[in-house]
Amino acid sequence: MSVLETQSVSIRFGGVFANTDVSIKVGEWEIVGVIGPNGAGKTTAFNIVTGFYKPDRGRVLYKGRDITNLAVHERTALGMGRTFQNVGLVKGSTVRENLVSAQYLEADYSTLAGMLGSPRTFVSEAELRKRGDAVAEVMGLGEFLDRQVAGLPYGVLKRVEIATVLATDPDVLLLDEPSSGMGPEEAHDLGDTLLELRREFGLSIAMIEHHVPLVVRVCDYVYCLNFGQLLAEGLPEEVRNHPQVVTAYLGEDAEDPALQKVEEKLETLLDTD
Amino acid sequence: MAVETASRGPAAETGETVEGGEPSFRPSPIGWLARGIVWAAIAWLVLIFPLGREAFELQRYSEAVIFGIIGLSLNVLLGYVGQISLGHQAFVGIGAFTSAYIVTEQNLSFWVGVAAAVAVGGLQALVLGGVSLRITGLYFALVTLAYGLVAEKNIFQIQELTGGGLGQPAPKPKGFESDFRYYYLCLVFLAIVLWVDWRMMRTKSGRALLALRENPRVASTFGVNVRLLTLFAFVVSGAFAGLGGALLAHNDTRVSPETWSFNLALIFVIMTVVGGLRSRAGVVIGSAFFALIGYLLDKFTILQDGLNAIPGAPDLSPEIARLVIGPVLLLLTLTLTPGGIGQQIRPIVRWLTGHRFDLKDRGLKEVQISDVRA
Repeated sequence: MSVLETQSVSIRFGGVFANTDVSIKVGEWEIVGVIGPNGAGKTTAFNIVTGFYKPDRGRVLYKGRDITNLAVHERTALGMGRTFQNVGLVKGSTVRENLVSAQYLEADYSTLAGMLGSPRTFVSEAELRKRGDAVAEVMGLGEFLDRQVAGLPYGVLKRVEIATVLATDPDVLLLDEPSSGMGPEEAHDLGDTLLELRREFGLSIAMIEHHVPLVVRVCDYVYCLNFGQLLAEGLPEEVRNHPQVVTAYLGEDAEDPALQKVEEKLETLLDTD
Repeated sequence: MAVETASRGPAAETGETVEGGEPSFRPSPIGWLARGIVWAAIAWLVLIFPLGREAFELQRYSEAVIFGIIGLSLNVLLGYVGQISLGHQAFVGIGAFTSAYIVTEQNLSFWVGVAAAVAVGGLQALVLGGVSLRITGLYFALVTLAYGLVAEKNIFQIQELTGGGLGQPAPKPKGFESDFRYYYLCLVFLAIVLWVDWRMMRTKSGRALLALRENPRVASTFGVNVRLLTLFAFVVSGAFAGLGGALLAHNDTRVSPETWSFNLALIFVIMTVVGGLRSRAGVVIGSAFFALIGYLLDKFTILQDGLNAIPGAPDLSPEIARLVIGPVLLLLTLTLTPGGIGQQIRPIVRWLTGHRFDLKDRGLKEVQISDVRA
């Protein structure tokens, strides 16, 4: 059974058909890539899956249950974790504070007990901090724990963000361009981390990604979106060489010899990883 | 592997100072002694200095403490949630009348009155927020402004509740009839509010509030019900305001309707911002200062004397003085130190709590003008 599934989901904003009949499946233990040119509707699809948008048509299923009408925080409670394209963190707080904030649902005391300062909350708080530190260690962020988020480099922020989502104890990770702002080397390490996360925590992962070598290396299955519609799906290599996908990225005249040269050059550049 | 790459990031190269990266610092015995002396001085100023003062002075001190509670109430909304209330005088005023009505008309004890004021304050916020917190920012501010005016023109005109033009008597509680005892009672209430506020911000709901102020989308992916928690914070703010109102009523032993004008709401907002959003110490100091302006002007007459030298200068009544000094301080705060008094005194507060003294550590965590602009 698939962990996460959208069934012909459609949404339009005024005259823009942002998603039309998009059906995506994420199986258990699977890492699924979503690629496509800018404005293809990838983030829109993620926003529908995580509950920020309600689709006009279609359904979203989580472990076989229809969650189309659930709010974002309810989906988090079910085990859905999501990162944002432009880094979803509390910038005025430190990395550690972010990791503890993310464990909002993990805290085992009531809001009122917290406000009155019952002794148990102090114990729970210490546990939350310890757990946050452990997650940071997994993501290789130990040295940044006391740093304020606002001053950290972008590549590190992306890792911090994944750590905070891990702290919410998810079953599925939805990562929106996790490798943006990273160099090739860092992106390669990120791939290692993602594979390790799947192995260690049994996570399923869906990710929007532009970095082709990363997609090819870690993804089991890839969907390509263009103009809000699924253009192609299949194994990473298949999708990458799919003629329509190539056209979508490079334009109509992909047969043009000059463009083909560019394409070859791109391929070699991307393959150097 | 990953750890190495990360440490070679740009921040490590530019050698940025590490924030809060000194967990092992312990002050020397002499350091502790110095801190102890300063703590003792503060304790003396708050606890011993008011002893033996005259009744009218003690009332002003109590008022300063109560304003601290009101400032903290507004800080919950303005500092933690990032929503502005321009009708807070209504919450405080209704709290004051509730307690006065219960004690005078119903002949119940002061404690029942205070409890009722807290409950009514929270309930008002629940109803008003439940309806209006679908909108935020400027429009929410307008709703609270309208609410304040409605309270002024309608609720405060109900004879049975407010006692009409003469106002409602609000005697001091049994055992606290003397002004200095009542002053200590106010201090105890301030301490309770500080404790609740501190624990709230150190536990899940407070952290969630900070997250949703900065980015509601991120907060909701953390599993926070953003609408509900915003409403919750508004209720907490309303309950604190109700408490402040009840204490004010019994401090003056009489509440009259005309006290609760829009001017007061402005002063509440200004004193909280000037005190420093999200800084408990700053908010209390700022609020106390605004409560004491009139008293200080009486005590130190330099300003009034100076003004008298100018022909045709106005007489500085406390009301006018607040409305003149307030905006000036507000402008200075917004342009120079958005963190207010809290930002200025942060090195001292850090030092007092056993950290290293670092003048540069203003700990300004993204306090922006946008906070205040709402």
